[in-house]
Amino acid sequence: MRLLTHNLLSSHVRGVGPRGFPLRLQATEVRINPVEFNPDFIVRMIPKVEWAALLEAADTLHLIQVPKEPIQGYEHNEEFLRKMHHVLLEVEVLEGTLQCPESGRLFPISRGIPNMLLSDEETET
Amino acid sequence: MAVVSAGPRSGPAPGAHFFCTAGRGLEPFLMREVRERLAATQVEYISGKVFFTTCSDLNMLKQLKSAERLFLLIKKQLPFPVSSVSKGKIFNELQRLINDDPESWLNAISIWKNLLELDAKKEKLSHKNANPLKRKVGEDDITAKKLKTEQIQDIQETKECQLEKQIEEKILEQGNFITEGEKFQELQNDVTEAVDTRNQTNLTFRVSCRCSGAIAKTITAQEVGRVIGITLMKQFGWKADLRNPNLEIFIHLSDIYSVLGIPVFRVPLACRAYIKTAGLRSTIAWAMASLAEIKDVYYVGADVSDSQLSGAYDNLRAAGLEDKIELLKVSVTELPLPSESIDIIISDIPFGKKFKLGKDIKRTLQEMERVLRVGGTIVLLLSEDHHKHLKGGEARSGPLNSLGGHTEEPGGEECLTPAEKAAVSELVPSSFTAGNQECLDGMPPLGSLVPVDCYRVSLGKTDALISKYKKAYSPGR
Repeated sequence: MRLLTHNLLSSHVRGVGPRGFPLRLQATEVRINPVEFNPDFIVRMIPKVEWAALLEAADTLHLIQVPKEPIQGYEHNEEFLRKMHHVLLEVEVLEGTLQCPESGRLFPISRGIPNMLLSDEETET
Repeated sequence: MAVVSAGPRSGPAPGAHFFCTAGRGLEPFLMREVRERLAATQVEYISGKVFFTTCSDLNMLKQLKSAERLFLLIKKQLPFPVSSVSKGKIFNELQRLINDDPESWLNAISIWKNLLELDAKKEKLSHKNANPLKRKVGEDDITAKKLKTEQIQDIQETKECQLEKQIEEKILEQGNFITEGEKFQELQNDVTEAVDTRNQTNLTFRVSCRCSGAIAKTITAQEVGRVIGITLMKQFGWKADLRNPNLEIFIHLSDIYSVLGIPVFRVPLACRAYIKTAGLRSTIAWAMASLAEIKDVYYVGADVSDSQLSGAYDNLRAAGLEDKIELLKVSVTELPLPSESIDIIISDIPFGKKFKLGKDIKRTLQEMERVLRVGGTIVLLLSEDHHKHLKGGEARSGPLNSLGGHTEEPGGEECLTPAEKAAVSELVPSSFTAGNQECLDGMPPLGSLVPVDCYRVSLGKTDALISKYKKAYSPGR
């Protein structure tokens, strides 16, 4: 699970609503994968990033050199874009957990795949 | 044969004639593909086959995604007149296919060899570049090796393609009778090892026939195969070889046409080298993705089943795409994603009796609608039943209890994407004009999802509908 994905995931436990985001990340195994840098793609993603969630997750993973916010003229700032590219796409959590901040429900991450399945009782109706 | 200078743009003789077999319903996709990828001209289709002319080389031809198999065209002509005609007469006509016009045959063979040799030269060039000190490999060796490699590949791929082949044959069958010319046993010589493709009289061959419609009542595919085979041997001096022929001849006699061709590749195009775990039929998956107008996106694949996810992961690894596609174990009926965060959804809605039609599909579509951005695109594969159910115009409100639905095609192209895509404001049907109007008319809007396009395609035993929707507005929730 990459951090860009984490930035989207929220808990759908019954009754939790928007307070199910962001999920608290805990990682026991992390891998760094080099991924081809596509600046146009990163530029388009920047406006969609939930920064607080990203920073919190990056912090949990002890990542350094993580930009705190989009900087002026980021579209042309390669250094900034490369840092974002690294944070969003090159850090992969292989084993760990995601926790719903409201209900405390834990979702395991195993072999890079988060398991977000809820039981019938837990799902919102 | 004169050495062809292998410049970057050299190809076979300009405008070689080809045809592809295609699953029913995929012909429009294939026609578009050959025009776009191969700059093909003289593109036409008749019931399961698309004919075209192109200068492209093997590498380009290999990339066709909506075709079953690719053939070099030897001959296409009007069907044999069959009513009140004796077998003997038909045998005569078959012989004339070869004897009246041996040039067509030799021409096609020579184009076929050109294609292979050109490909072999490219391999040789890359060998040379890779290791200039290596002994210069002879042209014959490479071509021979190439044919041999293809034969070995054929055996290895055979297992993986069993299912594909069965489905292919089911799609093309429909009253056809298929044979591999078993009657040849008494006529064939021993398997030939060495291949000297320069000398045509040393070519070994095998004939594959299909007969459908009226002609199938008068003559069997086996008989056709035998007559053609004997005539070829007499005319050109080739030898028959059922197991590992150099050359395969494909004949299809139907009510609509008589077509003869040479398969360009041993393995069907539909058999993808990078798919280890079969899921949705590769050609259908590609057709769905082509409708989704995918630009530069972030891909997320979702399924409830561990085995599906594991198969998907194997495919991603085989294709070298593990970095591009994320996998999630989620239920499409409860997506852990914010509303309106996704641009494109592609999904193969589960078929089969145990999937509770009514509740699950509605719940699934509600969730998909929720997470999709306004202007976003959904491409679904629906069974006839789903389609009927949705058409029924039942109330779409009301959340319902859900079972997890599996939505994944482990082929690397399915996506739930949160990435950027140019917002589409107009909702006119896409520029791909060959959509099935009748099928489109049968699609009601689903909440804010407006139907845009619809194609009926064959999955072998059953039909299904590729249905494309766009989200027109934000349902006030």
